[in-house]
Amino acid sequence: MRSNLKGWRVLLTGLGGGICYASYLIILHYTESVLLSVFLAIILVCIYSEVVARMVKTPVSVFVICVIIPLVPGRTMYYAMRAYISSDMALASSLIFETLMIAGTISIAIAVVASATSLVLRLQQRF
Amino acid sequence: MPEISLKMCSKLALKAGSIILESGGATNRVELMMYKVCKGFGFEEIESFVTPTGIFLSIGDGKNELSTSIRRVEQRRIDLGKITDLTRVVNTLYEDNCAKCPPEMTKYDYFRQELEKIDTQQPYPSFVTNLCGAATSGSFCLIFGGTGLEFALAMIVGFIVSASLKYISLLPVNNFLLNAIAASIIVILSKTMQLGFQSINLDTIIVGGIMILVPGLSITNAIRDTMSGDLVAGTARGVEALIITVGIVAGSGAMLKLWEIILG
Repeated sequence: MRSNLKGWRVLLTGLGGGICYASYLIILHYTESVLLSVFLAIILVCIYSEVVARMVKTPVSVFVICVIIPLVPGRTMYYAMRAYISSDMALASSLIFETLMIAGTISIAIAVVASATSLVLRLQQRF
Repeated sequence: MPEISLKMCSKLALKAGSIILESGGATNRVELMMYKVCKGFGFEEIESFVTPTGIFLSIGDGKNELSTSIRRVEQRRIDLGKITDLTRVVNTLYEDNCAKCPPEMTKYDYFRQELEKIDTQQPYPSFVTNLCGAATSGSFCLIFGGTGLEFALAMIVGFIVSASLKYISLLPVNNFLLNAIAASIIVILSKTMQLGFQSINLDTIIVGGIMILVPGLSITNAIRDTMSGDLVAGTARGVEALIITVGIVAGSGAMLKLWEIILG
């Protein structure tokens, strides 16, 4: 939103961000596992952005950048830092670990979708 | 048969590439766009190597002429609008072979004019980006469980931080210091607000402000670069994201502790 994207595409990225957080909350409610819900939500919105970006002829990364932002672990990072300041090392290290786990999960999900898409596109070209 | 000279073509391709790189595009996208530009002008031998801070490009005409150029990219901002526009222009050149170009201009003139137009394109006025920053910060405050009053305060914090980011980046500071200063401004503002409104929850406001600074672009680009086999660029971007993150944490942490020592 703050990235100088023009016109109605902003609405599409906003919708993607909404889908991202909504699906995260829904899956979290059913599975009660943070990492699994982050993984599935990111996969869902990455597929969303690959499809929509092709429909409106925009680079895919433009969409991916905007829609993953709601799940980037800024909050756990802040809590980790606060625990560190109040010298609660056990809490701080567990929060830092959680931050790293979430960030890694997001990366893996993006990578999975990106590789799968290029595979599908290549197969489409061949047949 | 190429219709313009090697030097002119490499100049155009470098210009297109550096616009994308300066606007925060992934390096494999830069390579792809430069390839399409050179191909669109009829050159066959194209080798390029792009890192997040520079472009190397070498074009040959298939006989014994070869032109190699290097471009250093100094500043990097986020401007997804420019990337979108440039992709559209390059695709008209590469795929439709400039079918929609005005007939009175040559392909070269048309393309150069479009590039100039994109390069000098004005971003949104800063007032609008600041308002968007305010909305981002306020919305994240709500997501993390803020109340109505905290939402309003987070919007004020978001507005001031986006405005000050612009002015701090005029100073010769690096990414680390820029984000550290911005994060400490967030903490100072919200701590000051807590003096006025005793009942507010400080965490939601600070987290809302921090979410503006979080390097989502660098992380995404790092992963996409690494996945496409561009290990140098991927590592560089990953380190950039790490440095920014450490900057945010250091800035806000130092300021929280200082406030505690001085006024606690």
